[in-house]
Amino acid sequence: MQYQLALQQLTDSALPTGAFAHSLGFESYIHRELVGDEVTFGNWLHAFITQQLVYSDGLALRFLFEGVDVGLLDGVLSAQLLAREVREASLKMGGRLLEIGGEVFPSGELEAYRGLVRAGLASGHQPLAFGVIARSLGVPFEAALSAYLFATVTSLTQNAVRAIPLGQNAGQRVLRQAHDAVATAVDDVAQLCWDDFGAVSPGLEISQMRHERQRARMFMS
Amino acid sequence: MIRLKSAAISPGAASAERAVRGRLELGVSVRGGRSVASRQFHEGALRVLRPHYLDGSGQVCYVMVNPGGAYLGADVFLIDVEVEAGAELLLTTQSATKVYRTPGAFAEQGMNIKLGEGSRLELMPDQLIAYREASYRQNSRISVHPTSSLVMAEVVTPGWSPDGATFKYEEVRLRNEIWIEDGNGANLLALDNLRILPPVNDVTGMGFMEGFSHLGSLVVVDSRVDQGLADELDRIVREFDAYTGVSLTMTIAGTTGIVLRSLSNSTEELNNLLGACTGVLRERWYGQAPLNLRKY
Repeated sequence: MQYQLALQQLTDSALPTGAFAHSLGFESYIHRELVGDEVTFGNWLHAFITQQLVYSDGLALRFLFEGVDVGLLDGVLSAQLLAREVREASLKMGGRLLEIGGEVFPSGELEAYRGLVRAGLASGHQPLAFGVIARSLGVPFEAALSAYLFATVTSLTQNAVRAIPLGQNAGQRVLRQAHDAVATAVDDVAQLCWDDFGAVSPGLEISQMRHERQRARMFMS
Repeated sequence: MIRLKSAAISPGAASAERAVRGRLELGVSVRGGRSVASRQFHEGALRVLRPHYLDGSGQVCYVMVNPGGAYLGADVFLIDVEVEAGAELLLTTQSATKVYRTPGAFAEQGMNIKLGEGSRLELMPDQLIAYREASYRQNSRISVHPTSSLVMAEVVTPGWSPDGATFKYEEVRLRNEIWIEDGNGANLLALDNLRILPPVNDVTGMGFMEGFSHLGSLVVVDSRVDQGLADELDRIVREFDAYTGVSLTMTIAGTTGIVLRSLSNSTEELNNLLGACTGVLRERWYGQAPLNLRKY
């Protein structure tokens, strides 16, 4: 478990990737008054994890650990994240992670991915940046995937606590509830296949698209 | 393990051991200012009606017909379309694509489309209706030149079951890959992957169908696509009784895509919404009237 502290640092919500600036679509649901308390935010979070994160970030991580070329996965992610703000969020946070990783967890694999991004041959997505670093640290796949999903869930919940707003304890209850969704997601990612990569949930995607033109907003996505 | 070649991005064409029930090949090129079929082949349960010219633009309209009326069992249908340099094709269907019970198997349509330099394709099939216990997979690979223009629309309806409930089918998968291809190679612009498995996931609620029954999509790939056009389409769709999002893909070789996704409770509302959007493009880019396929 030599990687434990490194993984904790990498998934800490204080890691400065800018995750505080993204709702990944839930702000649209707040605007429509469909998300407004602990229960309704929990429902959105469950849908987001099991219907979207699994098919995009989750599968990207698995294929990376199975040895699929990072440049190929990077291209498919860019093509599959059709809501512009969500695609840009993945690249913004991915870019920061590549930069931070280069300083604190340097490795040949990470340098190679950063090189592709510098050369314009890849865009630099968050799950792939995370996966390349986690792999170089010897983190086993399932541990890496759970940690990645739960870190995303944590940032989103902290953002919901501020935006809705929810009480701090309510936020913790939502996080505890999300353990099951993350466990389900880890199982699902293992079962799915290449054809499932990038499958969309229409409602989530439409909300992410409509966020671009939402007038009053706290978040970039 | 997945191979690293870009071919690995596409799911394989219909499995070789499965029987092909229908095959259609169509090549369109320009002759004397009009687009005409330069190559045409069909076998089994797929063919095209004789071509129409809906206006004086030279754009040819082909209507695909499935004389069997529906997709059943392990049917495989393969469609190959090439629109050669400068040619303009409108490809549609005679009626809705219906998928009935497919016990122990799935019906499958594989489509391979190539757009040459300066060519144009409007792909406007009727809606897909999946009935109780139906499984259907549609895989399309569309290769677009940076100078060509693609407009494609699609509507999926939930079908019907004897107890009146919706979403009784096993699965519907519609997977479109859009590649930008020129002398420098091929790059994936958009992967639009829709996967609806009602027995496995609750598709009716928040996040998925959001309480609606019908789903419509529109994809426009053209070097004239920009944020202004996306915003304009977004203003148009707000007039309709539907929940709709519009966004831009990334840009490759100067070409960008618009993706529009819409949920509603009526095929007609979605068709009107999609028609209003494609009508704007037809008028602005080609001086053509909005499509009215009802009359054919």
